[in-house]
Amino acid sequence: MDFDLITHSIPLLIQGTGVTLEITAVAVFIGMCIGCLMGIMRICNWKILRIIANVYIDCIRGTPLLVQIFIVYFALPAIIGARIEKFPAAVIACSINSGAYVAEIFRAGIQSIDAGQMEAGRSLGLTWWQTMRFIVLPQAFKRVIPPLGNEFIAMLKDSSLVSVIGFEELTRTGQLIISRTYASLEIWTCVALIYLFMVLVVARFVAKLEKRFETK
Amino acid sequence: MKNEMIKIENLHKSFGQLEVLKGVNLTVSEGEVVVIIGPSGSGKSTLLRCINFLEEPTGGSITINGEKITNSQHPKINEIRREVGMVFQKFNLFPHMTVLQNLMLAPMKVRGINEEEAKETALKYLSKVGLAEKANVYPENLSGGQQQRVAIARALCMKPMALLFDEPTSALDPEMINEVLDVMKNLANEGMTMVVVTHEMGFAKEVGDRVLFVDGGNIQEEGNPNEIFDHPKTERMRAFLSKIL
Repeated sequence: MDFDLITHSIPLLIQGTGVTLEITAVAVFIGMCIGCLMGIMRICNWKILRIIANVYIDCIRGTPLLVQIFIVYFALPAIIGARIEKFPAAVIACSINSGAYVAEIFRAGIQSIDAGQMEAGRSLGLTWWQTMRFIVLPQAFKRVIPPLGNEFIAMLKDSSLVSVIGFEELTRTGQLIISRTYASLEIWTCVALIYLFMVLVVARFVAKLEKRFETK
Repeated sequence: MKNEMIKIENLHKSFGQLEVLKGVNLTVSEGEVVVIIGPSGSGKSTLLRCINFLEEPTGGSITINGEKITNSQHPKINEIRREVGMVFQKFNLFPHMTVLQNLMLAPMKVRGINEEEAKETALKYLSKVGLAEKANVYPENLSGGQQQRVAIARALCMKPMALLFDEPTSALDPEMINEVLDVMKNLANEGMTMVVVTHEMGFAKEVGDRVLFVDGGNIQEEGNPNEIFDHPKTERMRAFLSKIL
């Protein structure tokens, strides 16, 4: 083990870690917005909205994220006739991907709320959407915190796939250092440990969050 | 002749192949207390749930205060529902809100009244059901009987023309049944129009203006409580009474 090399590489790797966190946070946030919308659409009364949500979820969950990244970065520009920068491409692919999984999380969360809650709301004259917003969703949000935490952790690791389009997050940074130094052992170990550390921190944070909502 | 408040005509309801309601006709007048009794699976709860379209009828119509409705897609469905309160077997209070918030939500969002007024109304009905001191408590900290009284107060806060009760005491421990029935008796005495599905025969006798015996998807017998309990005309009714009394 060349510890000198590791010390020299650390600043670069930390920079890459920041980028990984950034893309994960943005992707999961946008993914949550898409997922919340699609999750509600999947169980709403409008057939056309249900179909749209089903097609979206099936297509995204039925294809690999890696292929989705290629499509957004290489194929999409051919359609829209303009280049897409690496960061937006990475964010778009990851967000759309995350959205499909989050949609299923929200759908399950909403459906886990007793049907009597919706009936009580409707019987008071609230509309379907009002009941959803004020009664069902606030209860569902609490229940989806653990699976959303899992989704965040999964995206943290899956974001390494955007290294294939040359986007310099943690994995790509590692690759680049190795291509100069040939220090596979040292750098991949470092990269793995950094991912592990991030995941453990996020897992602890989610557990805390879960506890906080539980007591109320 | 009193105002016809709820008029059910030829109501049918099927769940797949199973026909639960087979052409029910029923008129409820203003201020009347109609009690529906009958064996499990007879369709009495389904009938009640069809009145505010929590259950979608397969056929027939329901006229509420002059508005004739055949399905829940009716544009005025929310306006109708706000006029017809419902009390559920399992209370269905909103667990993430305090008692007061449970009571204030619908009047503010549906009736559009301001927070102050909603709070005033909520506290008024809360003391009516004897729970004014529980305003800031969460439902999980209340007993079953208290929860059901809160649920009644929640329905009252919308100032409905009529109240539907779907086996309101069936999920309660025996010692809590009376506190709920007492609240319902008071409402009946004040002239509230009520349709009550229940297994409480004492309540049916004492409070009901009219008792309906539902079995096999239709009303088998109806009349004033004394008539129906003391002189049952049909064999089914006699068999039912012999089992429960």
